[in-house]
Amino acid sequence: MARYLFHRLWQSALTLVLASIIVFIGVRALPGDPALAMAGEEADPATVAAVRAELGLDESIVVQYLKFMGNAVVGDFGKSIRTGTPVSEMLGATLPVTIQLAIYAMLIALLLGLATGVVAAVFRGRWPEWTANGFSLFALSVPTFWLGILAVLYLSVQLGWFPASGYVSPFEHPLRGVYYLTLPALILGLTHAAVVQRQTRSSMVETLTADFVRTARAKGLGRAAVIFRIGLRNSLIVVTTIVGLQLGGLIAGAVVTERIFSLPGIGKLTLDSVFTRDYPVIQAVVLVITAAYIVINLLVDFLYTVIDPRMRVSGRTS
Amino acid sequence: MRRSRVLVIATAAATLAACVPIQAVTSSGEHTDDFGTPLGDQRVQPGGELVMGLSSEPDRLDPTTSSSLYTRYVMSSICEKLYDLDSRGQVVPQLAGALPTISPDGLTVTIPVRTGIKFADGAPFDAAAVRTSLNRHLTLKTSQRASEIGPIESIEAPGPDTVVIRYKRPFAPITAALADRAGMIMSPAALAAKGDDFGDAPVCVGPFKFVRRIPQTSIEVTRDPLYHDAAKVHLDRIVYRIMQDANSRAANLRSGDVQVADTISPQDVDALAKDKSLRVLQAGSLGYQGVTINTGNVDGAGKPPKPIDTPLARDPRVREAFVLTVDRETLVNTVFNNWFDAACSPIAPQSPYASTASNACQKFDPARSRQLLAEAGVPIPYPVNLQVTNSQDQLRYAQALQASVAEGGFDLRITPVEYSTLLDVQKRGDFELLQLGWSGRIDPDGNMTRFLTTGAAANYGGFSSKELDDLLAQASRVTDVKQRAELYGRAVEVIQRQNPIVYTYRLRNLTVHTRRVAGVEVYSDGVVRLGKAAFVESQEG
Amino acid sequence: MTAVDPVAPVALGRVRGRVLRKLWHNPLGVVGGVLLLIVIVAGVFAPWLAPYPPSQVHFTTPFQQPFTVGFALGTDDLGRDVLSRVLHGTRASLEVGVLSVLLAVVVGVPLGLLAGYWRWLDAVVSRLADVMLAFPFLIVAVGLAAINGGGIGNAAIALGIANIPTMIRVVRAETLRLKESDFVLAAHTMDAGAGRILGGHVLPNALSAIIVQATVIMPSAVLGEAILSFLGLGIQPPDPSLGIMLSDAQQYLFRTVWPGVFPGIAIALICLGFNLFGDALRDALDPKTSHREGR
Repeated sequence: MARYLFHRLWQSALTLVLASIIVFIGVRALPGDPALAMAGEEADPATVAAVRAELGLDESIVVQYLKFMGNAVVGDFGKSIRTGTPVSEMLGATLPVTIQLAIYAMLIALLLGLATGVVAAVFRGRWPEWTANGFSLFALSVPTFWLGILAVLYLSVQLGWFPASGYVSPFEHPLRGVYYLTLPALILGLTHAAVVQRQTRSSMVETLTADFVRTARAKGLGRAAVIFRIGLRNSLIVVTTIVGLQLGGLIAGAVVTERIFSLPGIGKLTLDSVFTRDYPVIQAVVLVITAAYIVINLLVDFLYTVIDPRMRVSGRTS
Repeated sequence: MRRSRVLVIATAAATLAACVPIQAVTSSGEHTDDFGTPLGDQRVQPGGELVMGLSSEPDRLDPTTSSSLYTRYVMSSICEKLYDLDSRGQVVPQLAGALPTISPDGLTVTIPVRTGIKFADGAPFDAAAVRTSLNRHLTLKTSQRASEIGPIESIEAPGPDTVVIRYKRPFAPITAALADRAGMIMSPAALAAKGDDFGDAPVCVGPFKFVRRIPQTSIEVTRDPLYHDAAKVHLDRIVYRIMQDANSRAANLRSGDVQVADTISPQDVDALAKDKSLRVLQAGSLGYQGVTINTGNVDGAGKPPKPIDTPLARDPRVREAFVLTVDRETLVNTVFNNWFDAACSPIAPQSPYASTASNACQKFDPARSRQLLAEAGVPIPYPVNLQVTNSQDQLRYAQALQASVAEGGFDLRITPVEYSTLLDVQKRGDFELLQLGWSGRIDPDGNMTRFLTTGAAANYGGFSSKELDDLLAQASRVTDVKQRAELYGRAVEVIQRQNPIVYTYRLRNLTVHTRRVAGVEVYSDGVVRLGKAAFVESQEG
Repeated sequence: MTAVDPVAPVALGRVRGRVLRKLWHNPLGVVGGVLLLIVIVAGVFAPWLAPYPPSQVHFTTPFQQPFTVGFALGTDDLGRDVLSRVLHGTRASLEVGVLSVLLAVVVGVPLGLLAGYWRWLDAVVSRLADVMLAFPFLIVAVGLAAINGGGIGNAAIALGIANIPTMIRVVRAETLRLKESDFVLAAHTMDAGAGRILGGHVLPNALSAIIVQATVIMPSAVLGEAILSFLGLGIQPPDPSLGIMLSDAQQYLFRTVWPGVFPGIAIALICLGFNLFGDALRDALDPKTSHREGR
């Protein structure tokens, strides 16, 4: 077990370093001069060269990388070229927004997905299954960002049920905070709810038709008990993995949602920083997103071994 | 709905001819500037927090290094300038005591400075502080102001209430420059303490003072009790919330989450104007949008121009043909819903330097275009490539432009490029046609010299005309407004003959605020001024 | 990304008839197939079906409602015919989908085979897949758009890259499983080379898993294209794309919603077609479901 843990940790660290190198080189391969981008179209070209020297962009790429990683390890990602704010501060402001959004969306996805998945499995071949399956097909097929736009138009602007956009910290105003995040989280969570629904349904169906369950039923175990104690529990194992993988995807998917709802999250920061060639910010953001994904997967792996002891042996191949 | 059904309905509709007849386009008609009204003696509610939806994130809040226009919006409430504009576009003193006096040889500019004023940190405002700020503009390596304030020899402060600027050559645009960011005076104490990081927590003279900035989210300022005109400041706090999406600014205005928002999309403004609780302010831009034609930028902007062997670069007739097939009116009407204005020169008609000559415009005449192309021996359709930023408005305009120039015999190919890349492309001269705008300066020199004089650093098209160089140089040395207007009029004639830049349209800065607040003002520089705004006593309670 | 059930090894020829029969008897699969057929016909024949060139501007008739004379689905802000643009946009979406599936297959399948076959390569390939998976695909797209200036190819590459790691994993898992199967072991004893075993025995048996994975990638690539174009990173105007139509329509939502409704429906129909057909195909290929009734 310890060996496995160590192995996974080492693998993750390696992945992270590889990713950081790719980002670092990739960012510099982008056309467009950050000094020029910083100065903007209103720039006085004479000063651009001075800006470049000041930003340390004239040093060799190896030196720049080592400096960057050295500082990054202690949480110092440098300063934004554009606004002059420390990047760590920008991450501190935007990351919580995206994490809250992702968690909220995941909760919605789990709630919707598990509920409709169980319904579909229990009422096989009848209308509840068709409805539940129809829901997941719909959610998988419709571009959710488009639903988001329509939702803003109808639910927010015309009906006034939800705020059109904006962010309120749930830590400062718990109720308003949750209220502001509801529509974005719902939109973001929809696709993932569909995935959870399908996994739950198929694993429930498998469990419910398994021989040992039939035996248990024959011995008089109640239907509800079978569904919730055996079926749901087994499904949770599958769903856990999905949740882990999806959470990583959620953070990336948040880019579009954040744009539609003007949420000041890390997705918006990513787009803005790339468009303005804000090197320090791009590097930090990609590194953080990648790290988040890796850490989540690591956690899921460990959680997996806890839920399902069989995985301790074969977990390596997952 | 299934695809097949859509198709069926579609074909059915097409056959059932008179289903819905074609709707005629309704033109919204002329638009006139509305800069807002000063508070006057309206009854106001003291205090309150005003939220403004800001369309773009400001860069550093540092008058010396800032290059984002939106920074000026925030700075206008925390950082007063030596001079300001009034609602008629005239330069008026703000922190200066009066307009500058310029010596007869044009080399010495004397600025009287007000006294008895305190910076937000309590430091006294005086001529020495002005000198420190101007010197910083001049000497800081990352300064964006150096070229705006011209060829300065020295800056002196002979007394606490006088600043004297000595020039190497006469430089008329200085007064206008001091009514923009170059004229913002920073607290010397804060500069000494923060140095290059002044923008992290700027300290100036202003109705409000900086509180905090949450990157990507908001900037907050609070009332400054030390402000010299504090009696006229009513709000407690202003929060600038960054909302880049035009739809969400409009939606938030309607839902009341923000009270003011800038840069409203021409697509949304009609709907907002119908809302009785909202008021639309509009100010025609002093800048322009246009298409730069590469006539000689081979080695990069600022380098000596070299000939480019294409009909468009070589033959002014071909460029004229291109201009004549740009249906400016139809384009702004269609693409911008009639809210923006057609533009034919770098000088806005509301500028004090505008003249009949500078307001002249080439008429849309595609037949003449084809004729000119034939005269120049260019086969029709003549393919030309236009590079444009991938922003919505720019792309839509480019696509409409494509249709318009096709009538005159041009086959316009559009290459959308990401903004940062386009700046690079523009500098390197790696384009045939390039569509990009200029926010504009109060002084027309700022709209022309840097783009059109031979070898100028921002002469992206590599244009070179001795005649134009001389006219512009002469105009920057003369101080009389009428004389300058006449010279600029002649410059425009040269430009319209050679067409190095095809001016296309002029934006309108559209700002909307709820009627619950009053005293919001926007002048021709487009800056939304909130310093003296207030919540009005509500009728409904 | 949906996980794929492992598919048992079966000799292809013998099974084809059974698979087709099962597909035919699955009503949802038939609906999906018909939908796909319509979408593909619309895309392939767009230049002939569309009443106007997709970028033709009609200055005098912007914002026409659907069912207007001459403009069956109305026009957009520049007076362009929405029907023509939807047809051409569908074509572009399919192109991006097919290209990105191809990329994922061409890169992912060999890597998956190799990683499954040789343990020492597994570590390298799996790390590579991890990095690719962890890397937000939007960043890749933004980077590519900045370097190449956007376009169909660009969107396809970004989406293909995003789908390579899952393809690698699926094929690798199949290879690992098939490596231990009797017929591969038998081939080993007959001294067959690695190329022969992978190409002749493993690949054909992994084919159904690859096909199923392809039907998963297709709709996600179509949605991905819409997202990229919506953010201005995919197909670039004036080329028509469903994503661009949506982002255009968002600009003037307060005036009219129609130009945004039809491309949205088109995307949904394309994805629905692939999802339904893909599900049915997976069920049909999976012998375990042979005793179950249709989905």
